[in-house]
Amino acid sequence: MFFLKEETKVISLHPSYFGPNVREYLITRLNEEEEGRCTGDHFVICVMDMVDIGEGRVLPSSGHGEYTIKYRAIIWKPFRGETVDAIVTSVKPTGIFTLAGPLAVFIARKNIPSDIKWEPNTVPPQYTDHGDQVIEKGTGLRLKILGVKPDVAAINAIGTIKEDYLGPL
Amino acid sequence: MSHSLLDQDFGSDEEEEDFNPAPAEESDDENAGRAKASNRDYDDEEDDEEDTDVKAGRPAHRRGSEDDVRNRDEDDVEDAEPAAHDDEGTHEEGAEEEEGEEEDEDEDDDNDDDDEDAVSGRPRKRRRRGGVANFFEEEAGVDEDEDEAEDEEDELAELGGEMHPDDMDALPVGAETDDRRHRQLDRQRELEASMDAEKQAQLLKERYGRNRAAATDAVVVPKRLLLPSVEDPSIWGVRCKPGKEREVVFAIQKRIEERPPGSRNPIKIISAFERGGAMAGYIYIEARRQADVLEALQDMSNVYPRSKVILVPVREMPDLLRVQKSEELNPGGWVRIKRGKYQGDLAQIEEVETNGLAVTVRLVPRLDYGLNEDTAAPLVDPKRKRPGVNPAVARPPQRLFSEAEAKKKHGKYLSATSRLGPKSWNYLGETYIDGFLIKDMKVQHLVTKSVNPRLEEVTMFARGSEDGTANLDLASLAETLKNSTAEESYLPGDPVEVYRGEQQGLVGRTSSTRGDIVTVQVTQGDLAGQLIDAPVKTLRKRFREGDHVKVIGGSRYQDELGMVVQVKDDNVTLLSDMSMQEITVFSKDLRLSAETGVDGKLGMFDVHDLVQLDASTVACVVKVDRESLRVLDQNGSIRTVLPTQVASKITPRRDAVATDRNGAEIRHGDTVREGYGDQRSGVILHIHRSFLFLHNKAQAENSGIIVVRTTNVVTVSAKGGRSNGPDLTKLNPAVMRNAVPGGGSSMAPPKFMGRDRMIGKTVMVRKGPFKGLVGIVKDASDQQARVELHSKNKLVTIPKEILVVKDPVTGATVDMSRGKGGQRVPYGGSSGAPQSGWQGGRTPMAVGDSSRTPAWGMSSSARTPAWGGVGGSRTPAWKNDGSRTSNPYDGNRTAYGGGLGSRTPAWNAGARTPYDSGSGSSGFDAFAAGSRTPAWNSGNRTPAWSAGATASNGSKDSGNYDAPTPGGNYSAPTPGAYASAPTPGVSAPTPGAWPDSAPTPGAFNAPTPGGPSKRPYDAPTPAAWDGGNRPYDAPTPAMGGTAATPGAGPYGDGDDGGPRYEEGTPSP
Repeated sequence: MFFLKEETKVISLHPSYFGPNVREYLITRLNEEEEGRCTGDHFVICVMDMVDIGEGRVLPSSGHGEYTIKYRAIIWKPFRGETVDAIVTSVKPTGIFTLAGPLAVFIARKNIPSDIKWEPNTVPPQYTDHGDQVIEKGTGLRLKILGVKPDVAAINAIGTIKEDYLGPL
Repeated sequence: MSHSLLDQDFGSDEEEEDFNPAPAEESDDENAGRAKASNRDYDDEEDDEEDTDVKAGRPAHRRGSEDDVRNRDEDDVEDAEPAAHDDEGTHEEGAEEEEGEEEDEDEDDDNDDDDEDAVSGRPRKRRRRGGVANFFEEEAGVDEDEDEAEDEEDELAELGGEMHPDDMDALPVGAETDDRRHRQLDRQRELEASMDAEKQAQLLKERYGRNRAAATDAVVVPKRLLLPSVEDPSIWGVRCKPGKEREVVFAIQKRIEERPPGSRNPIKIISAFERGGAMAGYIYIEARRQADVLEALQDMSNVYPRSKVILVPVREMPDLLRVQKSEELNPGGWVRIKRGKYQGDLAQIEEVETNGLAVTVRLVPRLDYGLNEDTAAPLVDPKRKRPGVNPAVARPPQRLFSEAEAKKKHGKYLSATSRLGPKSWNYLGETYIDGFLIKDMKVQHLVTKSVNPRLEEVTMFARGSEDGTANLDLASLAETLKNSTAEESYLPGDPVEVYRGEQQGLVGRTSSTRGDIVTVQVTQGDLAGQLIDAPVKTLRKRFREGDHVKVIGGSRYQDELGMVVQVKDDNVTLLSDMSMQEITVFSKDLRLSAETGVDGKLGMFDVHDLVQLDASTVACVVKVDRESLRVLDQNGSIRTVLPTQVASKITPRRDAVATDRNGAEIRHGDTVREGYGDQRSGVILHIHRSFLFLHNKAQAENSGIIVVRTTNVVTVSAKGGRSNGPDLTKLNPAVMRNAVPGGGSSMAPPKFMGRDRMIGKTVMVRKGPFKGLVGIVKDASDQQARVELHSKNKLVTIPKEILVVKDPVTGATVDMSRGKGGQRVPYGGSSGAPQSGWQGGRTPMAVGDSSRTPAWGMSSSARTPAWGGVGGSRTPAWKNDGSRTSNPYDGNRTAYGGGLGSRTPAWNAGARTPYDSGSGSSGFDAFAAGSRTPAWNSGNRTPAWSAGATASNGSKDSGNYDAPTPGGNYSAPTPGAYASAPTPGVSAPTPGAWPDSAPTPGAFNAPTPGGPSKRPYDAPTPAAWDGGNRPYDAPTPAMGGTAATPGAGPYGDGDDGGPRYEEGTPSP
């Protein structure tokens, strides 16, 4: 689910950057560092605007300037039960690896409908029901997130397509 | 074990002729119950006892000539010999024997008394006479064997009316006619008895607690009143050899037979029993006095009455005799075999005998079908156990029975049995059905508790189902497991649901556990928030799909972490984090896991750790088993090693750097792909020398670990998309860039780059208070140096200009300029190795460089002295060079050499260009900055640089040269530079520019390989050197021609400075 979240970040700046362009430096840096970041809990999709950059503070020892920036960002936090569209990145006998945006979702064999079978002899290998449903690398899938496991700087999720209206698009 | 006197007696009374001796086992079973004071027993036999007691009384009273004296007498006997009575009860054999005797007596009725003795031939029989005769004897006061006499009397009494005439003869005259008096006496006694009932009861109660039953008749007595009191005989626990308890009890029984009560030396214990498994190593003896116990056990093997004898507190007596309800076995349940060939094997219960003592089990047979039979082996008694052969160790693997196999060699032992239902085979005396061994076993040979069948074991049983489908009865399996569910498998906070019983459907979290009862805090429904107790059996853990769980035991997947993908009743399928494989386990073996990342650990080792196996082998841990590690070594082979075989764990170096096949830098965390082969890709976990350990989540085998060579990978993406913007915590590059446009007017290059070369040098103070003292420079600024004096062990600050650098070994003064020049080279040379941190994974490159580097380093240093020595001579050479150096770069560089700034760039890779320009500005603006830049890029300049640097050394610009040295290293690849060196034109300005410094670079340039190869003046150069008194100068040109490599030597020599270099020079 997407949220608009207000967060703060501290950026320190070498004195050589002090000058009229400080703000640009900070914005660039903020965008570079924050957008696409995964906290283990959510993904930062986009930094919307900066609420407050605040006054810089010069650190006594190094002379670096330290700015505490408040900004708003669109974040995506995947939830259990959420239905997302994803792209298949690889198919293996154990299941299907997909990417729903930045989130890697694994669909285990158990969570694939029993009529969609592993077909290793085709090129590339695929899961198929020998009908119109073919799942191979690059296929778009609609899946439901079953569980989300936060990690230090990543989120792992498992999903299912064993429900109505789920499966290849 | 102990039957009370009364029991026994009356039993025989009742049953008389058709007396059926109780089977030994049954009586064994009764042991605890039968022992006096057992409540349960009491209930069972209440009726009996009433009867018997009544009878007990009556016959006695009926005895014709009995009088009060006799009665008292009898009582006394009973008092004196309680053990005797018990004795009889305790031992079946005794009982049987007695029965036998009784039968004899029946015969006696028909035969003569005298005959009887002869028939029985036992000493005891001595006193056995015809019933009535016996009676009289007793009356005469023979009371040795009172109880037996009693028996007989009882019998006699029963038989009274039908006495044989012969027996009648034995009666005293008038006995028959005395009948009236007898009856009178009986009546009188009955009256007394009825009046004295209370008193009598009291008496009996004192002696035998359970006899109260007789007194209270049909009234139900509360059980607690039946508990033993202090007046009852005590029970002593005596140590014995564990496992021999039963044997000891039998030995006691035997001894009692030998020394029955009433014999000269009677055993005076009341009962003896053992409690088997729970109290192994003890037998319990009931007796009045401890001395009796000791006496009874004297000289008996396997029992140790001399060690501490425990008096069982009255309070604990009931516990001691409590019969534990034996495990209820149900067909379909699982058990394990305790010993023998199938020791430890899982078996399924087929049938349970009604007595609950024997069961029929189904086993997966372990047969070798005679394949390993040694036909030539001498016949040995099969019963005798051969020493050293443990049947449980050397045994064939579990396999279903195959008649084909059996027919091969053991056809004669095989026979098909026709039976209803499935076909069965008889092989070597055992029955096989559907491939399984069907075996009758005693319960005591089975493990019925904590069986913990593992799924893989159980599947063997499922395989044999008739229709070929695996109809594994998971329900019954779960049932068995449930029984073994230890309370620790439920921890407070575990989500559970009640799946059967009254509370079915309840969902909650456990809040506490007491034995088999779990308190559940309900979280859903109407009862939410309430605490409810539920038995463990009705509970199961509750997981949802997507839960992150850990396997906690009872399964071979112990410690796996994973996410639940399917929940079906008790079976939970989870997807292992590590192997991406599906695992099915019971929910009781799972627990919610808050851990992320790491799975099992084995000591210090963890999955994905890099370990050193031996000096040349490293490996990455791909799986941690309970006792071993599976590792993938650098050669790509998988091995299983023990933790002890691992030399050490390599702490990961996060900053390690390597280059891929395109020369791009790769670091830990980058994603790379194989260039050749399978094109596998993965994230770099470890960089070790030229090997990369990658992790690819999509790969199932080896936990996704791949090992590749650095030369075989291409970068796919850098870690987290390394920010390509400026690093805001470093100096703003724009500031430096800004300097460029300024041209000549921009700032002068900084004087110092890198650490002061003085640091670490041995110096002598030239003047001042410390004059003549030698020390080591610890720290230096541009003016001052802090010197640690050898003599004073003290740091003093001394102006640099009054310091003289000394050679620490020879003590010779090292010319500062020369020293610097020389210094540089070693510095450069040595820097390659120690600075690996800085150079990172590129170390090999450094090595490569050094091979090149020497060329210039050497040339420069070598030349430097020469040059210094013969300035003039060289100059022309230089000029030659200059002329050659049509290449503006060269020229430029030369200029740099002259200008200190030129060096700087060498240091700061990025920054160089501007510096150059800066330096150039000093007089070389003519060399367009731009022109130089390319030179930089090519990296070729370096030689030129170093040359320049050296030159400048010659010109005595101090300190500054160091900087260039490293530059030299980098530029090592320079050969190109040489080529470019010849470029014309540039040199022309150069000379003009520097009157002083100009020559220096020139000199250097000349030797540079590129130059020499084409230039005739190369020849002159050496000549110039020759002039400089150097024999080796001649080689220099050669050097130019050849790879500079040999120069490496001087680097190694390092610190010595000038002289060594000179040596090096010839080496090319």
